[in-house]
Amino acid sequence: MQKQLDALLDAARAELAAAADNAALEQWRVTHLGRRSEVTGLLRSVGSLAREERRAAGQAANAARRDLEAAFEARQAELRRSADGAQVDVTMPGYPVRLGSLHPLTRTLREIRRVLAPLGFRAVSGPEVEWDRYNFELLNIPADHPARDMWDTFHIHDKARPGELLLRTHTSPVQARVMEQIQPPVRVIVPGKVYRYEDRSAKNEAEFMQVEGLAIDEHITMADLRGTLTHFVRMMFGPDRELRIRASYFPFTEPSAEADMSCHACGGKGCSVCGGTGWIEILGSGMVHPKVLADVGYDPDVYQGFAFGMGVERIAMLKYGVTDIRSFYRNDLRFLRQLR
Amino acid sequence: MRVPFEWLCELTGIEASVDDVATRLTNAGFEVGAIHRAGEHWDRIVVGEVARIDSHPNADRLNLPTVNTGSEEIQVVCGAWNFEVGDRIAFAPAGARLWDPYADEPVLKELKPTRIRGVVSRGMLCSTKELGISDDHEGILVLDPDAPLGRPLAEALGGEVLEFELKANRPDALSVLGIAREAAALYGAEVRSPIPDERPSEDGSSRPVELSIDDPALCARYSAALVHDVKVGESPAWMRDRLEQAGVRPISTIVDATNYVMLELGQPLHAFDWETVRGGFIGVRTPRPGERLVTLDGQDRELTPETLCIVDAKGPVALAGVMGGLDTEVTDKTSTVLLESATFDPISIRRTAHRLNLRSEASRRFEKGLPPELTVLALRRCVQVIEEIGAGRGEFLTADAYPAPSDPTPVSLAFDRIERLMGVAYDRSEVRQALSALEFGLEEDGDELCVTPPFWRRDVSAPADVVEEVARLVGYERIPDTLPTGQVMDVAPGEIDERDDEARDVMAGLGFAECVTYALTSEARMARLVPPDLLDASPDAPLGDADAWAAVRETAMNDAGRTLTDRLLPLDREPLRLRNPLSMEENALRLTGLGTMLETLRANRRHADRDLLLFDYQPSFLARDGDLPEEPNFLTAVIGERVSADRWNETGTVELPFVRGVVDELLARSGVPTDQASHDDLQHPTFAAGAAAAVTVEGRLLAAYGEVDAEVAAAFDLDERAWALLVDMPAVRAASSGAPSFSAWSEYPSALRDLAIIVDAEVTQAEVQETIQRAGRPLLQSARLFDEYRGEQIPAGKRSLAYALSYAAPDRTLTDKQADRAHNRVVRALQHRLGAELRG
Repeated sequence: MQKQLDALLDAARAELAAAADNAALEQWRVTHLGRRSEVTGLLRSVGSLAREERRAAGQAANAARRDLEAAFEARQAELRRSADGAQVDVTMPGYPVRLGSLHPLTRTLREIRRVLAPLGFRAVSGPEVEWDRYNFELLNIPADHPARDMWDTFHIHDKARPGELLLRTHTSPVQARVMEQIQPPVRVIVPGKVYRYEDRSAKNEAEFMQVEGLAIDEHITMADLRGTLTHFVRMMFGPDRELRIRASYFPFTEPSAEADMSCHACGGKGCSVCGGTGWIEILGSGMVHPKVLADVGYDPDVYQGFAFGMGVERIAMLKYGVTDIRSFYRNDLRFLRQLR
Repeated sequence: MRVPFEWLCELTGIEASVDDVATRLTNAGFEVGAIHRAGEHWDRIVVGEVARIDSHPNADRLNLPTVNTGSEEIQVVCGAWNFEVGDRIAFAPAGARLWDPYADEPVLKELKPTRIRGVVSRGMLCSTKELGISDDHEGILVLDPDAPLGRPLAEALGGEVLEFELKANRPDALSVLGIAREAAALYGAEVRSPIPDERPSEDGSSRPVELSIDDPALCARYSAALVHDVKVGESPAWMRDRLEQAGVRPISTIVDATNYVMLELGQPLHAFDWETVRGGFIGVRTPRPGERLVTLDGQDRELTPETLCIVDAKGPVALAGVMGGLDTEVTDKTSTVLLESATFDPISIRRTAHRLNLRSEASRRFEKGLPPELTVLALRRCVQVIEEIGAGRGEFLTADAYPAPSDPTPVSLAFDRIERLMGVAYDRSEVRQALSALEFGLEEDGDELCVTPPFWRRDVSAPADVVEEVARLVGYERIPDTLPTGQVMDVAPGEIDERDDEARDVMAGLGFAECVTYALTSEARMARLVPPDLLDASPDAPLGDADAWAAVRETAMNDAGRTLTDRLLPLDREPLRLRNPLSMEENALRLTGLGTMLETLRANRRHADRDLLLFDYQPSFLARDGDLPEEPNFLTAVIGERVSADRWNETGTVELPFVRGVVDELLARSGVPTDQASHDDLQHPTFAAGAAAAVTVEGRLLAAYGEVDAEVAAAFDLDERAWALLVDMPAVRAASSGAPSFSAWSEYPSALRDLAIIVDAEVTQAEVQETIQRAGRPLLQSARLFDEYRGEQIPAGKRSLAYALSYAAPDRTLTDKQADRAHNRVVRALQHRLGAELRG
């Protein structure tokens, strides 16, 4: 019977290959898979065989039938594809996929966290509406200090405690909040929204994101600060980046430093991104002022450490080539999709 | 602070290039924000002389100077009159490039020959603004008579000006001498102090000046010098040039001399017309009740009790450190001048200058705290300058009140403190050299170093300050790169919840684009979340309307839906308001982000007709009495009417179950399984009636969602249906059962049964589902709704619901009979309890 089946299959396959349209195909199906087809006949005849042959014959006939069915479907699909003489056009666009996106600031913040986490920095948050005490006084910026001019401040109406509630102008108050709650070692970063009483423009926002970093222990040095920042800019902007730090002034650090990195666009030769200088200013930093440590109850003769702060939009603008800081807050889907 | 480079060089003798000096000062903490190169664009501008001035035949307000350029005479048309025949001026012939004085942004424009009222002009006499030297466009620049005729202007006037961005801690650096001291220290050069040595005062010739300081805390020192035979007039060109380059407008000899010394030494000086000061007396005190002063700007001011004043025998003559009085102003009739050089309390000056909005070069310096030692030095220098320019002759010091002299306090530190803080070693000789170069006094006792800062460095008061001086003078490039070692933290207070990241990821996965919106909003924007007809408000009320929110709070209080959603859509609360908003359109902190998100939806609707799915995950601000506000992270999502369906151009319409699907997935991923939360009809003015739901667990609201009320959508200028979802993520966390736990399923095949029933329309799906679940126990594995139908084939007031039910036993394959038995129980329960009919 196997021979009979093989012959049958060969013949059927040949006929199938010759079937060039749906009518011929249907004719073939009726002939070879229909109720009166040979295979069906063979299957029916299995019952009449000797008991010991039935099993093998039944399996062979069924296998043959499955082969024919598969061949039929394949030919059917082939004919469908070549219908009208057309191949599938693989350049057709895919059906719309509805996958959303994370905001570029969220993505940048996550990257910053990812870079600093292996160095032991944990991400913490603090309130955006703050007391004057945390935003200024505990950072060595007493009332009427001229350094307050560095931060144009939004004040909040509060009849009970006038003048004390404000929108934080930097993420630095969280430094004091963390240190008040735990003893060293401290190693945190603080991402979050900050506010400046400043007209919005392409370069300045009244609301923007900062990331603060703070590391306090018995032996953390300015060299550790520099090493951390160098690692950071290389992880964010490529292994060829160089870091330059220069003296600066912040009331809550001493010594203070501003950090520039060699321009990632021109490699330091000077271009429009870096204003021709080869350097891009990216953050402010320094060794935490002894007064700040003492005010939260740390002994400044025992503990020391560094702090740094950067604008997240600035990092994102450099990474993505965005030129208007307000783009991040317009939430235009064309922008969000481009930077997804 | 603008410092002409040649002035800086004059005080130091440094011969380095301007770029090198700028770089080294920047690295040492004196950031040069810009180097202005006067003359950079003056390629064709020359020193000319006015040879003749003719009147314009067709215009009275114009004249026709003819300029001798040394090689030719050129006639131009000019609108300024402040020059005479023989004056040397900056002449730009046609083809030269000049700054456009009328442009908003700096723009260089090429000068072309033009015909003005019928006369051809072949060049221009330049103002300082056109040359880019200053913003002054009143009249043309008249040069020094010695300016070399015909030579390029750059030779006569050129030069670089360094613009410093100075820090709040260095009042000494608000002076050319201060910068010169730094530069000299960095280059190992000597400072050439311009301050003359003392000279004995001439006796008898001057009238005595009586000084009085009421409170030394408000005025540490007051020094005065009389100048006689005063000649008020124009200052010499060299002085005017320097002032202009430094950004100060020249006025007249005496005022110019005081400004010049302020720029040079950092000490503001004030000049009184001594003849107008009554009683030969100068006092420093706060005003008495009712005292007033007409200040130089002509304003008659009532003096508040805390305003520090300079008074004469009769009353106030100046606001100390802030502005002089009109009556004692130096005029061209003045013959004797009293020069004031004082040390005022920085806080007092700062408060007065801020309160009156009169911040000046002088007040900026006083605010930062000036050393009392400087007053007498500045007086000497000023008198010397006045004599040098022939504007009078005077005494170096006529009177001096310094009730409580104080000296800088020495600072002690161990040498190794420097290495301990910096993480790198410094030789003791380097330390000594750096501090000596900055003129610090040094004493050593073994490993201890005792440092006495010079009088102008009162900012140095602690060991860390000294470390910084050493480090920055040696150069920060000395510092190596190391990484912090040692312990890491076990606990991080306020640590950011990783589930915040997960929630964002889930929303992005569900098709939503994350937005980051402003926390500042307006009360009127939030008020738009209530339909205007409920508020009796105009739908077009401006976003700056301050009363809008009061109307919201007065409307429909105690409404059940509003009470339930009080946290998420807090229409009954007062927002936190700014005392100093940038505009009324952002005068408050948001109670909800929904208004801003509906605006964002609208803005995106302008360029997209589908798939507008947006979410924002930022705090709202809920005030608390006597404490900081609560800042819960609320998730706010908005959805436009149409979303893409299966093929390229097919779209579906968003309906409530679409939003429900999002809610279920978000909550399930946040630890609140779908069957633990109840969804109930929500009546709320922001949502359309009958198309909104509140999600609660044990009575606590987790989320609210639904179709935005059509009037509300219209108030946000939306021309189609919109959907909103608000989730109180902290509440979700609180209701969360934590990490999901595993429960085993049956390994045996399931028996599937479909079920279609007809029930009264009031019967909820939740009731049907609950009935099925209860009656199906223990074999029922799941009951999935797959259709809802209302219409022709169903009686009015009824609807059909269809479910796919799956039965299985944990330990065996169910027989058909067993499955049927279980299914029949479910059917009977539905018939019995809910009056359901089986649909054929």
